[in-house]
This record gives sequence, C-alpha cells and structure tokens, in this order.
Amino acid sequence: MTTRAIDLDRLQRWMQTVIVDRDGVRAGAASSHARRHIDLAPEQIEEVIGRSRALSGVERLAMYGRSYFARLVECLRAEFPVLLHALGQQLFDLFALDYLQSNPPSSHTLHHLGEGFCRHLAETRPNPSTPQGYRESWPDFVIDLAALERAFSEVFDGPGVEGKTNLPDSRSLLSIPPPQLLRARLTPVPCLRLLRFRFPVNMYFQQVRRRVNPELPQAADTFLLITRWEYRVALHDLSRRQYDLFSALAAGNSVGSAIALTSQPGEDNQTLDAQALRWICDWAEKGLFLAVDFELS
Amino acid sequence: MIQARLGHPFLGFGVGLRGMHMQYVLEQNPAVDWFEVISENFMDSGGLPRYRLNQIAERYPVAMHGVSLSIASTDPLNLEYLKKLKRLAAEIGALWVSDHLCWTGVAGINTHDLLPIPFNERSLAHVVGRIRMVQEFLERPLVLENPSSYITFTDSTMKEWEFISRMAEEADCGLLLDVNNVYVSGINHDFDPVEYIESVPHNRVIQFHLAGHTNCRTHLIDTHDGPVIERVLELYRHAYRLTGGASTSIEWDARIPAFPVVHAEVVKARDYLNAKPTSRVAEPPEIGEPGAFALSNPMNFLVPDPVGS
Repeated sequence: MTTRAIDLDRLQRWMQTVIVDRDGVRAGAASSHARRHIDLAPEQIEEVIGRSRALSGVERLAMYGRSYFARLVECLRAEFPVLLHALGQQLFDLFALDYLQSNPPSSHTLHHLGEGFCRHLAETRPNPSTPQGYRESWPDFVIDLAALERAFSEVFDGPGVEGKTNLPDSRSLLSIPPPQLLRARLTPVPCLRLLRFRFPVNMYFQQVRRRVNPELPQAADTFLLITRWEYRVALHDLSRRQYDLFSALAAGNSVGSAIALTSQPGEDNQTLDAQALRWICDWAEKGLFLAVDFELS
Repeated sequence: MIQARLGHPFLGFGVGLRGMHMQYVLEQNPAVDWFEVISENFMDSGGLPRYRLNQIAERYPVAMHGVSLSIASTDPLNLEYLKKLKRLAAEIGALWVSDHLCWTGVAGINTHDLLPIPFNERSLAHVVGRIRMVQEFLERPLVLENPSSYITFTDSTMKEWEFISRMAEEADCGLLLDVNNVYVSGINHDFDPVEYIESVPHNRVIQFHLAGHTNCRTHLIDTHDGPVIERVLELYRHAYRLTGGASTSIEWDARIPAFPVVHAEVVKARDYLNAKPTSRVAEPPEIGEPGAFALSNPMNFLVPDPVGS
C-alpha cells in the first residue's frame, strides 16, 4: 500500500496503538487494532516512519514504545513508594505494567495516574471468589497499602481548609444545647478520608517512611482517618467504634442518629453516648468538621 | 513590524521550578531572575505545592510551561483543561503560557509523552487552527516549544524549522526555542542544528530552554538529567545573538541535584554568552552505552511528593 498523505487522525491512532503495545512496536503494528487504522505489516513500518543514518524506522519508533511504559511506571513508583518498598521493584513493576495496560491514562495530569491502582489490584487479586480466611492474605496487604498511599497523596494535594476560619471546635459544639446538637449534622472537611484495612498498614507505612525496614505485618483489622492541617497530612488511628461513628456522620446522619447507629444492644448506652460526644468534640478540636447544620424540624 | 519577543519582557536567566526545590527557594530566596513552572503540577493542586507556588509567584516573575495541551492532537481541545490553564495563569500572574508542538495522545488517552507529527500542509493547517482557538480562549499569545524527537514521517514535506516558522507566522504565536532539542533532533534526524537556529523567526522567540541529554551512540535522548553540553551552549550563544536575547531557563527533570547546582547551570549559560569563542572546546564526557535505554521526557517529578515536601 502507499502511505503517502495519511490522514493525521489515522496516523495518530495507529502510532498510539503501536507504541502502547506492551509486547513492543512490531507486535503493536501487527495487531488488528493498529491495522484497522493503517494496514501495514511490521516490516512495512518504514513506509510511515523514516529511518535515520543509524537506526531503522522500527528501532526509532520502539523508543517511544519503551519510554511510554517506563515513564509511567516511574510515576507510579513515585506515587507508591512504600508499596514499592514492600514488593520490590520487579514485582511492583509487573503490577504497574498490568495496571497501565488495562487502564491507559486519560487525564491531563499525572496526579490522576494512580487513582485506579488499588481498585485494579483488588479486581485482579488471586482467588477473588474464595472467602476471606481461606485464601492467601498477602494480596489484601498489597491492596490496603495501595489504598493508604493513594489516599495520602489525594489528601496532600487535594482541596483543604487552610485559610478557612470559624471551623467548629469543641467549644462551639458544647455551646449547642444537647437536644439541638443531637439533631445536628456535621460535615467533614474535604481533605478527610476514612479507611478500613485488613492489615495494620499505617504502622508499616510509618516505619518505612522512617527508613525502618519492617517485616510484613500480621493481618488485623485497623481503621484510619487521614486529614490535613496547615498543609501537613495527619493520620489518626481509630477504634472500630470511632470509625463506625465517623462513617455514620460522614454519611449525613445527625449526631444522634450516628450515635444510635453505632451503639450495641446490651451496652450502657448512656456512657457510650457521652463517650461518643467526647470523641466528636475531640474531632472538632482537630479541625475535622467544616460545618454544623441543623435538621429542619 | 513585529516587536521582538512579541513584546514580552526579557526576564533574564531562570530555572524550571521543581517540587523538591520549592521549600529551599522560599527559605533561601536565591538570586534567580525568574522561574518557569509546570502548569499541570499546579492547576489541580489545592495543597502545599500550590500554596508554595503562590508565595514564589509573589516574589519572582513566573511563566507557565505545560505538557498536556496536545495542540497537534486530532482529539477535540479539552475545554476544562483550558479553563484551568487560564485560571492558573491569571492567579499567579504568569507572564506567558507555553507548551509543546506535539500531541500527547488521541482517542481520549494521554500517553504523557510529547509525540511528533509529520511536517506537511495538512498538519500545519490543523495546528495553526488549534493555536488560534487556544489563543482566543486564553486571550493571550501561546508560546510553543520545538520538542525533541526520535522519528520522522515519510509523510513530511517540509523541514521542521520551516513548519515551525510558518506555524508561528500564520498562527501569530510565540516560540520557545529549546536549543538542546534542536541539537538532539539534529543528531537523530541528520540535520544541521545551525541551519535550524538560523531559519526560525527570531523576533518570535520569547524564551530559550537549555537541558542535558544522553548520548546513546546511535541517537541522543532528551533525558534532562545532567549539565548542558558545550555544543549546545555554542548553539545557544548563536541563537541568543540572532534573537537579540530572550529569557532563558534550565530544565533538570531526572536525577535532580540540589537547587544551587541547577541554578549554577543557567548562570554558566549566561556567562558563556560573554565568554570568548573557543575554536574547539573539549566536550564533557557523554554517557550511555550502545543499546542502553535512556528515558526521554521523564515525568515522575510531576507526581506530588508528600514525603519529599
């Protein structure tokens, strides 16, 4: 075929298909996807891509193919340094390549590159249908750690409340008459994330960041709240009940409903209610709420 | 008669601002003429990087340099991206907004690479039309950089410098002349970089880029990971004189050293402008083994770095 005067759109679609093929540009050019745009056999690539004095058209095009994956894998390594530490570079890169192959980037910013990595790891974990407890647990550690690092990154560079005044603090909450406070809804700050893990990944994360080389931890349910204050990311371990309470508040329940939802039958609810209110005041003191709204009654 | 640099000011000798250096800049107030900032690093940032940029922009002149405009793509222009770009430029008082003559992806994908196009009449019409639309939206001239490249298309009917010259004239845009890219592409595509430098419209050159590259023997890769080599400095001096001088910045994007080292590199370039021409200056050793892989356009410095901040 003659390839003179190829439509620019066809050319770009062909070239992109060829260079993002994980098996290399020859395989990419031979693929039906590429040939749908420009019907060229790999040995005909020089009908489109010129050679230089030193390199063939295929060798030159292959530079873009190699760089595509290498560049993006480097970016994922930068976003998930603790997961990289845990897995080692070889295994991390395999996961990263697998992710990139099925999730090619579309955003104008690399800040979004890793946002689907955790989900991809969860969707591609071994033995997904085997019940927890009967399957290997290390993939859960990998998935949890990826979730933590992604959340950390989002909180670090996402919207925050710096410069905002009049965030509700404990004093302002306590000044509200109790019946009214129980009907109030508390809006969390936009930089807050609540995370539930099957491994104590926060402990692992902190140790690696302190350049300690920890053992992979034993499985244990852990709960974490991530937020940001004055541009610094803060991580707060939560108990199960604290996590449930904050989750209920974040879901839009009133203070009273959230407390009721997280109380257990047969427990001393009065004591628990008082404890829950203390937690809420403590969270307000940490600047975790953006606003207090009152239910219309 | 077109004003030199399209009327943009001469800012002097600046540095491509990288996240790892922002705290240093704010604490030490180094005597840098100006900073070039990567647009995509900050247009979605609501955290520490953006906060620091706002402070730096209050102290130093800044220009914005993007990597995702994808001006040559056949995908529709991304209006949301352009809105963010315009807003950021207004908020930090960017003196100009630049990007690359390239496409970064098509069919909704962004490869995050700076991919070349064939240099022919159809590509030219396509790119010129899109530059005009972007300029109208941004309400300012766009400044476009010649990227380094590793392929040529059999479909090209004109030299790269002819394409760039006609593009700049027809779209009435500015040029960011990356002298290292001219050199890298010259070696890769067997053309004379001096002819390139001498052929572009000098009064449209608003800015120069300098950077290091890697010699892989059969080709050069634009790795931005080391000092500027002597031959590029010679080309730069030639270009600087032809244009009557334009703001210059250094790019260092991989194996990034401490800020003073990066700054010293642009000071070296400034001093080179006034140094006596030497007949044959010894070339610093270039690195790279035959067949070795070197990464072009490294981008991992664009990922927010909470740990290093």
